[in-house]
Amino acid sequence: MIARITYAFREMWASFRRNLTLTAAAILTSAIALLLVGTTLLIQRAFENLLVQWKGDVAMIVFVRSDATPEQISLIDESIRSAPTIINVDKLEYLDKAQTYEEAKRIFAGDPVTLSLLTPENIPSEFKVVPITQDPALVRSLSEQYRSLPGVEDVALAEDEFQVISTLSKFVRTVTLVMSLVLLMVAVGLIWNTIRTAMFARRREIEVMKLVGATNWFIRIPFMLEGLLQGLIGAVVSCGGLWVLNSAWTNGVAGFKPGTGISSLVVPSGYLSGVMFVILMIGALAGAIGSAIAASRFLDV
Amino acid sequence: MIRLENVTKRYGSETVAVRDASFDVAKGDFVFLVGPSGSGKSTILRLINRQERPERGDVWVAGQNVNDLPDSRVPFLRRNMGNVFQDYKLLTGKTVFENIAFALEVIGKPRHVIARQVPIVLDLVGLAGKEDRFPNQLSGGEQQRVSIARAFVNRPLILLADEPTGNLDPATGEGIMSLLDEINQTGTTVVMATHDHRVVNAMRRRVIQMDRGVLVRDQERGVYE
Repeated sequence: MIARITYAFREMWASFRRNLTLTAAAILTSAIALLLVGTTLLIQRAFENLLVQWKGDVAMIVFVRSDATPEQISLIDESIRSAPTIINVDKLEYLDKAQTYEEAKRIFAGDPVTLSLLTPENIPSEFKVVPITQDPALVRSLSEQYRSLPGVEDVALAEDEFQVISTLSKFVRTVTLVMSLVLLMVAVGLIWNTIRTAMFARRREIEVMKLVGATNWFIRIPFMLEGLLQGLIGAVVSCGGLWVLNSAWTNGVAGFKPGTGISSLVVPSGYLSGVMFVILMIGALAGAIGSAIAASRFLDV
Repeated sequence: MIRLENVTKRYGSETVAVRDASFDVAKGDFVFLVGPSGSGKSTILRLINRQERPERGDVWVAGQNVNDLPDSRVPFLRRNMGNVFQDYKLLTGKTVFENIAFALEVIGKPRHVIARQVPIVLDLVGLAGKEDRFPNQLSGGEQQRVSIARAFVNRPLILLADEPTGNLDPATGEGIMSLLDEINQTGTTVVMATHDHRVVNAMRRRVIQMDRGVLVRDQERGVYE
């Protein structure tokens, strides 16, 4: 057993070094493809930070002063519910201070100064309003009414803050996703080709192996390991790139004025490690699949 | 040990390589397959080690129907057979020792078995002391001895040889034949395809003659006609 394992790794390594140019090309392509996959995931998450308070067709948020009395809050609630032809009353949601604070943690992820000024005590609570009507003018006129109610701090409209960003985020997401998928396929193809070349270079050896009774798996595994290693190295390189990119972005964003929204466009480091893990997995898998297909197809020598 | 029953093999739709061939080879036999190029000798060897499958008929090896064998079992069938070729098929990047060890390594034999078996078989084929040479530092006859050592190191039941003397001068070929004879004496069944008149006539063993895919003669202690 140990003899087999050392054999597989020795062969993998020998073949890996024999084909340096092709190997480098395969690694580089998978690194770039995976970097794009990772960037897509990060961008998506960053935009989500900005959009999190508008999730689920929320078109208007009524912020309630942190010192509002329960009577004032229920008055606001009643006023909103009194317009059932314009507002979807079933979807009306009230976030208390604690819930709002949780949400704020994401919105101000890249803006620790602002976040540090907020506490679960001084933060406003909020009503999230989903409209029934398609007419934004009706929602806007309602917002003017609510703004004058006692205890209301402010009313925010999605139209003002949200739609441009939402469109932008969808566009960016689509473009990067398509690009990364295409590049990922190219990477699998290149790994496939590298393995095919490696097998062709060793066809005499493979022929002898088959004649003396080596099993197909025994022959295949070093090649599959080689492909897996290529994908994995590509993934490690792209993880490095992703880290550099993300640090540069986070630092750059920190320089923006607080509250401009741009500063929300960062991801927590836990999420970054998650993305890196996913990328390592995709890299290893793409490498193993590409090489497995090649190894099976070219084993008939 | 080997049994062919009405075996027919075609390449493509027209070329009939073997037509309705039947014969039996008992354990420990030494059999020459003779006939001109293209008569089907090599195809018969390739049918025995399952590099090819017959179109009709059955091939039995050591009590197993080779046709029914699933692909995953073929390697284990081949571990019972050694193969020797006209062009040796040695790996040029490996030394004599490594070439022979390779055959054991790839079927998962542990290192201490390899270290013990390889010198024994090197001694048997008369190449003791040349284990560190590379194939291109050896004569043709010596290279063929390495390939026989590789085929025999696993002590197979059957040795299949395809024109093993084809690239060698008569004297060297004689040496190879006496080595194959010696291996046959250990109980290994030998099937050798050849069109070398001299070796067949000198050995006086069983001769199976092929002509355009048809088995035309099967004779104990025969000669090449």
